Amino acid sequence: MKKFVAMMLAAVMCLACMTACGAPAASNVSDGSSIIIGGVGPLTGDYANYGTSVRNGMVQAVEEINAAGGINGMEVVLDFQDSAADPDSAVAAYGKLMDNGMNVFTGGVLSGETASAVAAANEDGVPIVTPTATADAAIVGNPNTFRICFTDSSQGLASANYIADNKMADKVAVFYQSDIDYSVGLYTNFETQCAERGIEIVEVQTFTADTATDFSTQINAIADSGVSLVFIPIYAAEASTFLTQAQGKLDGKIFFGCDGLDGILGKVSDPAVAENVVMLTPFAADDPDAQVQAFVTEYKADNGAAPDQFAASGYDAIYVIKAAVEKAGVTTADADFDAKVVAAMTAIEVDGVTGTMTWGEDGETTKAAKAMIIHDGVAVLYTAG
Amino acid sequence: MIHFLQTLISGLSLGSIYALIALGYTMVYGIAKMLNFAHGDIIMVGAYAAIVAVFQMKLPGLVAVLAAVLVCTVLGVTVEFLAYKPLRQSPPLTVLITAIGVSYFLQNIALLIFGSEQMASPVIMKLPALVIGGVQIDGITWGTLAVTCIIMLGLTLFINKTKMGKAMRAVSEDKGAAELMGISVNKTITITFAIGSALAAIASIFYGSAYVYIRPTTGAMPGIKAFTAAVFGGIGSIPGAMLGGILLGVIEQFAKAYISTLWSDAIVFGVLVVVLIVKPTGLLGKKISEKV
Repeated sequence: MKKFVAMMLAAVMCLACMTACGAPAASNVSDGSSIIIGGVGPLTGDYANYGTSVRNGMVQAVEEINAAGGINGMEVVLDFQDSAADPDSAVAAYGKLMDNGMNVFTGGVLSGETASAVAAANEDGVPIVTPTATADAAIVGNPNTFRICFTDSSQGLASANYIADNKMADKVAVFYQSDIDYSVGLYTNFETQCAERGIEIVEVQTFTADTATDFSTQINAIADSGVSLVFIPIYAAEASTFLTQAQGKLDGKIFFGCDGLDGILGKVSDPAVAENVVMLTPFAADDPDAQVQAFVTEYKADNGAAPDQFAASGYDAIYVIKAAVEKAGVTTADADFDAKVVAAMTAIEVDGVTGTMTWGEDGETTKAAKAMIIHDGVAVLYTAG
Repeated sequence: MIHFLQTLISGLSLGSIYALIALGYTMVYGIAKMLNFAHGDIIMVGAYAAIVAVFQMKLPGLVAVLAAVLVCTVLGVTVEFLAYKPLRQSPPLTVLITAIGVSYFLQNIALLIFGSEQMASPVIMKLPALVIGGVQIDGITWGTLAVTCIIMLGLTLFINKTKMGKAMRAVSEDKGAAELMGISVNKTITITFAIGSALAAIASIFYGSAYVYIRPTTGAMPGIKAFTAAVFGGIGSIPGAMLGGILLGVIEQFAKAYISTLWSDAIVFGVLVVVLIVKPTGLLGKKISEKV
């Protein structure tokens, strides 16, 4: 009898699952008084700092927009879910957001979770404006997805071009993490473009997540190669370890990295170790631009620390959504909300804190990168020479 | 030649840290006959204890070392009492799984208290660098080597010359017989854990001084490497742990420098496999014949 009851319960559960999964997910149409923007990102776990930054940037943009009357008269509601950087949790969070009536999605914060959530969102047709997923493949396959940040390949390319254009070095060493897509992607594209521009890579050293404690051998090899510039397409946590151990061995060399190095000054135990670090990034908190400074001041007042590139991209994502919805002239009560917002994305130009952006059909943005250099513990705009 | 010496020095530097951690591992294994996989995480706790002591409580370096030792010893004994003691009669596999559980538990507690962001640890061990023949040996490198040697000698003497050490060897050989001879097995194992955890605290101070950045998962990888070192040198053997640790570090750095940074771990573990095939008890391990 017990067994029979258990079987029945199991059957009911299966049925319930099937109805939930099988129902055609319709777009969320509401009464048009509010617009729900949903986001996913790591708020706990090893990458919590990135998710928290993006969310803080978004919260600030939402507060500003609501104070100024909302979007097309609609109040903006932000619903941000935790993924703990796990792609499966991100997909589950996406489902929950759709159930909560989400109108526009901002994807994930990291590339892996964004790729999964964007793929899951494909058949629902919900517009997606994703702030910080840099892997080239993260938004491929979903025509409703647009990206705020640069891709890995464009960053590797831009780095080589920047070094060549500003004659920073003609012989370089590379130090990258061989077990993450971000670092490998940047390095491969950097290598290709270096060959094109006549920059010689004389030394390549690598590490993995498991061997990220002791870099002395790699540092010795780079020191022996005698280059004046080291390309480090890695994240700030590993970079801080590398730079700390390189003290006294690689002094005077330029360390050139991309957006992964963002926030490095907050991670090193002593700002002096980050001397001569150059970052090619779309956002710099020390940019004298008035719009950037207004954002930075407000962010500091709310969160007690200067915003990083993640916070800035999150902030911009909300304003981009606002621009697209206003251009489309729709509210969430319109049945063709999704299609009109997606169509508007390729027609807008947004002047955000991470640069002036336009979008192509492929969802990629075009904007200029700024190079920042750290001197005496402060990041300032890099000037050649 | 300079390159060769530089690589040797960085191998010794890494190896001495492995050796220091391996001593604690092998000590607990040798006496209690259990693999304490949480050993690496006790090091992590020690490192956080030093951070709190120096940066938040503003204690001087030496007091912070004592605080870390105290915290780790209390933690080690508590873990032993709560998690391992009730399993004294269980099969070794049960205890092993419990140890892995304790390891995850400690990591997640640290994650809750300190967050996932890395924290800079205080550089307590500040020793002058030595320059020999144009090659610089960092203070922390020879400091760790010296301390590891002293601890190795101290432990060997303690186990072979003192009454407590004799009791430990007896427990290691046969718990039942030791109990019949009037030795308190539980007390002996508790003391073993206390010593092992205190060693972990000392290792954490050197680890923090050498590698600066601490996060909740910091203990995991050095823990596994040190365990490998202990097996390499012959698990249970105290001089073996020292030798295994140093060899492991040196092989790792030479593989990185002369072969490939991508292959270093594969080479290190490849050497381990070869050693275990040729000498299954490890380099200095004793051959134990089972009596039937």
